[in-house]
Amino acid sequence: MKRVRTSSFVLMVLMLVAVGVLAAACGSGGGGSSPGTSASPGGSGTVVLWHGDIDVERAALDELSAQYNAQDPAWKIDMVFSGNSDYALQKLLTAMAGGKAPDIMYQYGSSLANLARSPKIVNMGDLIAKTPSYDWNDFFDAARLACTVDGKVRAVPSLVDNLCLVYNKKLFDAAGVSYPTASWTWTDFRDAAKKLTNASTKQYGWAYVADGSEDTVWRYLATLWQAGGDLLNADNTKAAFDSPAGLKSMQLLYDMAVVDKSVYLDQGTGNYLSLFNSGKIAMLWTGPWDMSTINKDVQYGVEILPADVTHASIAGPDAWVMVDNGPDRVQGAWDFLQWFTSAKTQMEWALKTGNLPIRKSQTKMPAYKLYLAKFPYAATFVANLDNVTKARPNIPAYPKISIALGQAVQGVLLGKLQPQQALDQASQQVDAILAAPGQ
Amino acid sequence: MKPARTRSSGRWDRLLNSESASGWLFVSPAVIIIGLFGVAPIVWSVVLSFQSNDLVTPGTWVGFANYAALFKDPMFAASVRRTIIYTLLFVPIVTVLALALAVALDRRLRGMRFYRTAVFAPVVTSTVATAIMFNWLLDPDFGIVNAVLVKFGLPAQGFFQSPSQALYCIVVMTVWGWLGFAVIIFLAALQGVPRELMEAAAIDGATRWRAFRRVQLPMLGPATLFLVIWLSINALQLFDEIYVTTRGGPLQATTVVVYYLYVQAFQLFEAGYATAIAYILFLGILVLTIVQLLIGRRFVHYRS
Repeated sequence: MKRVRTSSFVLMVLMLVAVGVLAAACGSGGGGSSPGTSASPGGSGTVVLWHGDIDVERAALDELSAQYNAQDPAWKIDMVFSGNSDYALQKLLTAMAGGKAPDIMYQYGSSLANLARSPKIVNMGDLIAKTPSYDWNDFFDAARLACTVDGKVRAVPSLVDNLCLVYNKKLFDAAGVSYPTASWTWTDFRDAAKKLTNASTKQYGWAYVADGSEDTVWRYLATLWQAGGDLLNADNTKAAFDSPAGLKSMQLLYDMAVVDKSVYLDQGTGNYLSLFNSGKIAMLWTGPWDMSTINKDVQYGVEILPADVTHASIAGPDAWVMVDNGPDRVQGAWDFLQWFTSAKTQMEWALKTGNLPIRKSQTKMPAYKLYLAKFPYAATFVANLDNVTKARPNIPAYPKISIALGQAVQGVLLGKLQPQQALDQASQQVDAILAAPGQ
Repeated sequence: MKPARTRSSGRWDRLLNSESASGWLFVSPAVIIIGLFGVAPIVWSVVLSFQSNDLVTPGTWVGFANYAALFKDPMFAASVRRTIIYTLLFVPIVTVLALALAVALDRRLRGMRFYRTAVFAPVVTSTVATAIMFNWLLDPDFGIVNAVLVKFGLPAQGFFQSPSQALYCIVVMTVWGWLGFAVIIFLAALQGVPRELMEAAAIDGATRWRAFRRVQLPMLGPATLFLVIWLSINALQLFDEIYVTTRGGPLQATTVVVYYLYVQAFQLFEAGYATAIAYILFLGILVLTIVQLLIGRRFVHYRS
């Protein structure tokens, strides 16, 4: 009788077992995090939060999460660094497609319109409605606007900021130019930049991030709003920036970058900050996120942006989005977010990191004085929030609009496009984008 | 005693007990892993390319609409053009330079180990580190390259900030990064050329150049073919270096096919369109590789 040799038979059985184990592991691994099931209602376990903070912010996050976990909540929090927040949107999309999304994640406000299309992104409005003590209206307007898509609140604010004028006092003194004031106009700004530019020492009056990304667009939007213009019409169906105001703002960029050559064009590498620290750039339009990276030996000042018609600025609020991984986890994550975005915890966070307060009530707390003493520049940024009256439209088409406008502004800065040409090109593209079905 | 014949001794039995059956069981774990991580995404991509899908909400079937739109898309055509220009520059430059370097390194000089390591070091340097380095080297205002040019009275160049120069700077950066790989391949192939052949050529009175041209070069055929195919495939799939330097700019001067695909999928939420691009690229590379192999078969001499 033909018999299989014992050794190869045993081997075959072992292989089958290995394959079976592998398949089972892969199967359960891809099935997504299972909600906690335990005897106690609401379950218990650990909810996962993904963020992109480093250095000071990361240390602060770790401290605060340890504080929260020490309170012995039903759902503990696990803070996971998931890489630069520039890629947070793609990371979350990938994770959601793979069924292994975190419970909370830090996202740029501009990503929300597209993320909100997924039903897996928790509708925070419902949770907030059930928690009146949360005081939604306590958050700054800009932050609440950024978290609202189609009239529904789909995230809670994590960060509020805005663009201010940060300048190097020593360079101003050396060039004999008086410091920027709260009543500066575009003319003052342009003149100062010209006087602060020195081709032989490679010193520039202003720096602009000119890589065609949203970083390029949102600074342009600040100038557009300063000129009294608008990005889109009231119901977000057509471009509205191909207007006299739009032309004035494009012209300002063209005049400064191409005619005066007083602008350092950063390619999205962040070189502008190193150069500011080395005293090669006199003025920046930037936000609180850069302030902690400015060297101690640089004497800087902070002022609101110059005006054409208004001193308008732009805010880039970021948000905590929650992913629906089951009702128990949603509750656990919401408990944490309530604690984390409360005025008390946010004041602690602000004191540790220098980030701006996200709730108006924070400015009335006694600790706020300590905060201002520690971060003197913060006062200007917080006051400047009053100048943020308009927001970028929270519509799914915005990324496409951003690309069209980014190309136009980059073309103007590089001197490849005339201002009106750039406006025509961009507005045509934006109209086509908004006219496409499904937008 | 003669063993009794049983019914189990049929075709099935022979199949299950054959060596190939156990062989398959041995490789099945690897096959399953490759299947899950390799084949499954490939199949899913094909399915996606027939949908309009934003990866956030469920997709809708659109048949061949994505492919049809591709042929009318001027931005896609432009990205294909740039990719071809890049490939036509990258592959010959690397192959020829690497061959020259390999011949130069195929000697017994002092410090040869150092030179070979130096040539290979760029290959193992991470793309991001290389990008940061080149970003600063080629910075129009503060980079060393412009400083040297200006010192010699030449005008400062825009490099990564110039729409007309950016792609060629990428060529330089990637040639620098890949040269070592090709040099190592050629070195190995050169060292496979039997010494007796070179000695015979020398005895027959051939000059160094003729010996190289007539003896070594033909024997490098297989290595050259491999490199041309491998480098072409990598050049057509260029993405990393663009992503960490110019991000497809300035003014889309470095938006190659894979970068365009990335923008479509992850910035514009058009995953269906992006996978259609991926499949067109795949078909293009497949056709090119087949052509290269056929040409290679005709001209390359394999030692038996």
